[in-house]
Amino acid sequence: MAPEPPLLSMSGITKSFPGVRALDGVALDVQAGEVHCLLGQNGAGKSTLIKVLAGAHQPDTGTIHWRGEPVTLRSPIAAMRLGIATIYQELDLVEHLSVAENVHLGHEPTAAGFVVRGKVARESTAQLLKRLGHPEIDPARLVGELSAAQQQIVSMARALSHDVRLIVMDEPSAALDPDEVDNLFRIVGDLTAAGVAVVYISHRLEEIRRIGDRVTVLKDGRAVAVGLPAKTTPTREVVALMTGRNVEYVFPERPAKDMAAVGQPVLEVRGLARNGEFEPLDLSVRPGEIVGLAGLVGSGRSEILETIYGARKPDAGQVLVDGRELRPGSVRAAVRAGLGLAPEERKAQALLMLESVTRNVSVSSMSRFSRGGWIDRAAELGAARAATRELSLRPDNPNVPVRTLSGGNQQKAVLARWLLRGCRVLLLDEPTRGVDVGARAELYAVVRRLADEGLAVLLVSSEVPEVLGLADRVLVLREGRVVHTAPARELDEHRVLDLVMEGSPAS
Amino acid sequence: MPELTSRRGLLFGSAAIGAGALLAGCTSNESGDEPAANDQPAADDKPGKEVTIGFAGPQADHGWLNAINDNAKSRAKKYSDVTLEITEGSNDTAAQIGQIETLINKKVDVLVVLPADGKALTQVGLKAMRARIPVVNLDRIFNSPQAYRCWIGGDNYGMGLNAGHYIGEKLKGKSDAKVIELAGLDNLELTQQRTQGFDDALKNYPNIKKVARQAAEFTVESGQAKMAQLLQAQSKFDALWNHDDDQGVGALRAIEQAGRDDFLMVGGAGALSAFQAIKQDNGVLKATVLYPPTMAASAIDLARALGQGDGVSGMAEFEIPASITLYSAVVDKDNVDQYMPTGFK
Amino acid sequence: MTQHASPPRDSTGKVPSAGAPPAWRGLMARADVRTLSLLGVLAVLIIIGGITKPDEFLDTRNLQLVLTQASVIGVVTVGMTFVIVSGGIDLSVGAIVALASVWATTVATQEYGFVGILFTAVVVGLGCGLVNGMLIAYGAIVPFIATLAMLASARGLALQITDGKTQIVTVPSVLDLGERDAYVLGIPPLVMVFAVVTIIGWLILNRTTFGRRTVAVGGNAEAARLAGIDVRRQRLYLYLLSGLCCGIAAFLLIILAGSGQNTNGNLYELDAIAAAIIGGTLLSGGRGTIVGSVLGVLIFTTITNIFALNNLQSDVQQIAKGAIIVAAVLVQRRTASTT
Repeated sequence: MAPEPPLLSMSGITKSFPGVRALDGVALDVQAGEVHCLLGQNGAGKSTLIKVLAGAHQPDTGTIHWRGEPVTLRSPIAAMRLGIATIYQELDLVEHLSVAENVHLGHEPTAAGFVVRGKVARESTAQLLKRLGHPEIDPARLVGELSAAQQQIVSMARALSHDVRLIVMDEPSAALDPDEVDNLFRIVGDLTAAGVAVVYISHRLEEIRRIGDRVTVLKDGRAVAVGLPAKTTPTREVVALMTGRNVEYVFPERPAKDMAAVGQPVLEVRGLARNGEFEPLDLSVRPGEIVGLAGLVGSGRSEILETIYGARKPDAGQVLVDGRELRPGSVRAAVRAGLGLAPEERKAQALLMLESVTRNVSVSSMSRFSRGGWIDRAAELGAARAATRELSLRPDNPNVPVRTLSGGNQQKAVLARWLLRGCRVLLLDEPTRGVDVGARAELYAVVRRLADEGLAVLLVSSEVPEVLGLADRVLVLREGRVVHTAPARELDEHRVLDLVMEGSPAS
Repeated sequence: MPELTSRRGLLFGSAAIGAGALLAGCTSNESGDEPAANDQPAADDKPGKEVTIGFAGPQADHGWLNAINDNAKSRAKKYSDVTLEITEGSNDTAAQIGQIETLINKKVDVLVVLPADGKALTQVGLKAMRARIPVVNLDRIFNSPQAYRCWIGGDNYGMGLNAGHYIGEKLKGKSDAKVIELAGLDNLELTQQRTQGFDDALKNYPNIKKVARQAAEFTVESGQAKMAQLLQAQSKFDALWNHDDDQGVGALRAIEQAGRDDFLMVGGAGALSAFQAIKQDNGVLKATVLYPPTMAASAIDLARALGQGDGVSGMAEFEIPASITLYSAVVDKDNVDQYMPTGFK
Repeated sequence: MTQHASPPRDSTGKVPSAGAPPAWRGLMARADVRTLSLLGVLAVLIIIGGITKPDEFLDTRNLQLVLTQASVIGVVTVGMTFVIVSGGIDLSVGAIVALASVWATTVATQEYGFVGILFTAVVVGLGCGLVNGMLIAYGAIVPFIATLAMLASARGLALQITDGKTQIVTVPSVLDLGERDAYVLGIPPLVMVFAVVTIIGWLILNRTTFGRRTVAVGGNAEAARLAGIDVRRQRLYLYLLSGLCCGIAAFLLIILAGSGQNTNGNLYELDAIAAAIIGGTLLSGGRGTIVGSVLGVLIFTTITNIFALNNLQSDVQQIAKGAIIVAAVLVQRRTASTT
């Protein structure tokens, strides 16, 4: 007799969005009764993968087998009918409906086909909540009145109200305190004991150690490790898989001169802090220098950049450019002083997706091609062409809509914007997020060249090799605090990983 | 108080009411020196029993409706024994129901209601009647006679009929005469009634044919726009009936802009600007058919009489009639002076 | 490459090929499928009008009539287009037109003659726009709510000023502008104002930094902010612009109707939004054209004209209008996805 086929088997799953390949041949096997952990950084493809699994996205290629049979998950309903339930990180509950109404949303117990039997719904909900260890939640209460943790339970009750065989939990512990996490784990244990499979997504490695059976690691839309034993794989190995290089990038050479000795810092940050996000921070960047901030998700790295840029208002501290303090919380003041930001979420925060490359590049320098508000479009096009050519943006036609560009070229369009503006301090937040692996080396070379031309660069990245390879000096962040500062050449990947993981069981 | 005098006190001596109310078929036969409704003190305004009258009307966003409010207010002011509780007008059925219920709760003696929508407000009329508050239903009629003690209102069908007859007489003997119609807001029943009356009247005149009809929205702007289109569509016609003098301001503007003067125009409602134009007699507007807002003043009289338990003078009955339909008189150059003071702005 | 000085900002997804295309293809790319489809609709309407009523429809006076009737709502739509392109909405345009038209025709204002009426109409429009803009830009009230509130207040104030009465204009210099004698080379003055507003609107949206900022704010407000654009000030200016257009439209309406009435501008907000939408402006912001919006207005006005000339009643007109809106949007989505 052939061995029992896995409950779920996905292979060769590919999914592209305009400008980026979110999943690139991903495979995932889940056995009945196991807790299968999915690990990966933001943008690694986890959410796309679970949306494919939930029937919310259709893969471009790839096959899905359910209990040995090939299936297509055309819609969330199709997935639900098979017994696949998903609990999203942003809870998809209707705040103005009651707990029972939410739990039974879309499959209300009815009389005569349309009259909702409220009492039946409330009773079955009460039973589910009891099973989940939360009998105190009243099925008649409005979901909006519940705490985040209670909402999580309701979401889980909703998943269990179906005949479920596989539950996907997207960072279920993010909103919970330790007691509630214990309860969550108890529920997960009950479920798996009953033969239900759980796909568990979390950034917290210690959780994975506690409840996980196997681990699949995603990076850049690929599964870089499949089915590792969750309890015994060394932490460092897991982190290295998540953050490490899987291609030997060619990093540009650093200039020989010692940056610390050259000139006055153009950007100085003194005691900058935001409550709950990061603790008072001091740093300075000199012209020609690339300073890197290394840290995991939640270390406060993006928040620091955005606060320096004025997009967030600091609770304390100052940002100085050439020794002059910037008005806190003003992007315009920062831009006027010569700061430029290439944000992490390029599409949401930087690009005008309906517009041409030219207009995306010129948007911060319009006064330069205009007189009295009238734009000299020939000058605009010429300048945009010069800036994009300097960065070898492809295709070499600034009239194309920016949304048709690849991720790397979209990033170049953002850099060209600040190049054209004549910016002096470039803030780079995850500059290679969503950029194809092959295009990264070119982007690194561009950044180094801009620095060599006198730009000060502050780089944030969760990819340790990227920070070590590109930056001159590195600040290691952990939970909103700088735990180490050193020249990049004095650090290695293992040392940084230990620093960012400090406090976790380093094995 | 002796019944007879107080009945006389409710003399329907005012021009508009006297002209038509109970004497259908007889146009403007009142003496010309009789002043208009609002200027005419009620024959007997000797104070009687104190009466609180609740008045609920639609939002006065239109000349005619505004005149309704003015007529009611100034009439009530003439009586020292009448207190008028007037609600803020509303075009929203639900809001008006709420306002009337408030008046019921305040225990007013009599209600005068011009509903935003007669059918929709029937229930609240019934409620008032059950609470033993007599309701005078003004113009837009409730669904059930049980919802009002007395209805007083205009005659939309009669307006169309009289406009049609006036035009028919003017075009008598003219062969192949063409008329056009600029109607009011098409989703109101009264517009359909006016058109029906007009069409029925024209059936008496085989030489006349209605060649076009467009509906405006009782506003100057829509009157101008629709009239401009009608003028472009019909290069030659003999008469125009316009349902409403407010939109007529716009229609006249369009006629002026198109430089046309080869037809006669009859208006509707009885706006002051229309009366003035008829009197000057230098444009196309030759007459207008009344839909008198003085009905609101009469409604106050009726309400007061109901509150004091009186009948109407000039009638043999002890009780006030259940229904009073006003006559849609035609005002032209010959009798316009008499109506001038009743014209609304 | 000077013929490419104009990037395809109204792009329908067409990616110009990398090599230098022949001149005619460049022209085609620029003359936008959307605009062409609107011109096609207009052409079909003109054929229908010409067949059903050849004498009345294909007539100089009728052309003058259609364009005149389109002028008032057309000017409002130009302002509305800017607001929608920026990702906003202005529900108060009709109410502002009403308020400006009655304020500018009170007895007191009319004493100041032509200048008094024009000045008052424009200032009232700007004032309402300023309130809208301040509430939205600095009060962080969503445009739908802020302009809905303005709709109610401005209509209420207009009613209060007029007391429901029609205010007849007696200033000859204003009235004369609506007469045939005022036509220059057969063009009514109202139509000239409409044309000038359209051209200026097109220039501002396509050729100025103001237009660029408008598109940027509508396309991605967060990106615009992080690119150093003062998003709030831009929003304030946009509602001021819409208010200004309403003030101008109110003046045109005063000329056209020879009066001011608080019921003026009834449902202009919906007509203007509908015209902008069928003209290809995205309700979510970031894309829109003045030419498309103006064509949308002309299409609606032409339909009304053809229906009136054929003596069809308002019920049929309304049904047809609804059908046209849906059809135009569907056709555009089709053409946009296939090119």
